[in-house]
Amino acid sequence: MAVGDSTRLEIIFNTKRYRNKMTKKPRIETNEGPPHKSVTIITNVVARPDSTYPLIIKPYKLDISQFSPTKVRDEMKFNITNVSDKDLTVTLISKPEGVFDLQLPDRVEAGKSAQGILKLRPDAIETSFEKSFTIELNDDKTSRFTIPVKRTRRTPGEPAKKATAGHGH
Amino acid sequence: MKKTILITLLASLIFGACSISAAPRLLIENDQFNFGFAPQNSKISHIFWLKSAGDDSLKILKVVPG
Repeated sequence: MAVGDSTRLEIIFNTKRYRNKMTKKPRIETNEGPPHKSVTIITNVVARPDSTYPLIIKPYKLDISQFSPTKVRDEMKFNITNVSDKDLTVTLISKPEGVFDLQLPDRVEAGKSAQGILKLRPDAIETSFEKSFTIELNDDKTSRFTIPVKRTRRTPGEPAKKATAGHGH
Repeated sequence: MKKTILITLLASLIFGACSISAAPRLLIENDQFNFGFAPQNSKISHIFWLKSAGDDSLKILKVVPG
């Protein structure tokens, strides 16, 4: 990287069968030499995502796979239910660039549900991927929720285009 | 003769100082990310931005999982 240039580093975390709070610190080794710098990711892995608080998101994983060669599946709706007794505002904190767009409710009233819509970008229709997006609430804990989004694009007789994984820069 | 030696000395000092100060530096803006709640058996991802903020080019050699 030339002086002044920037680049992206995508960190992918597989939550597997982890539980509760997890902290990971991937280390980035450069010609700057030691001590090497790192990034930190923190996650609260939940075994029962259908009973979270103060929000329940259904489905809690968005699978927008397409197996038909003709019927394009490029949109998916999901429900956000506020199970607390306070109205909550929803803010999008992180999403991948150039893969999908999101329509999120600004506010979900106490005890009510609202709908979110994920729409694939045209360039992503022929691809397979595993990504996610993160939202933040205005509750006392400024709770965050990360919703995984997976797409497998396969036509009959063709092996699946495997979703990219790992980390890149 | 003395002048030539002096100039050579000065030049080597200046170039020496330059080579010492020119160094790569990695700058990570927002080096921490909190995903909050995430379901099990899922792949979640986030993009961090890395900047070459030194005065020599930066090479990313390896990313070691934490």
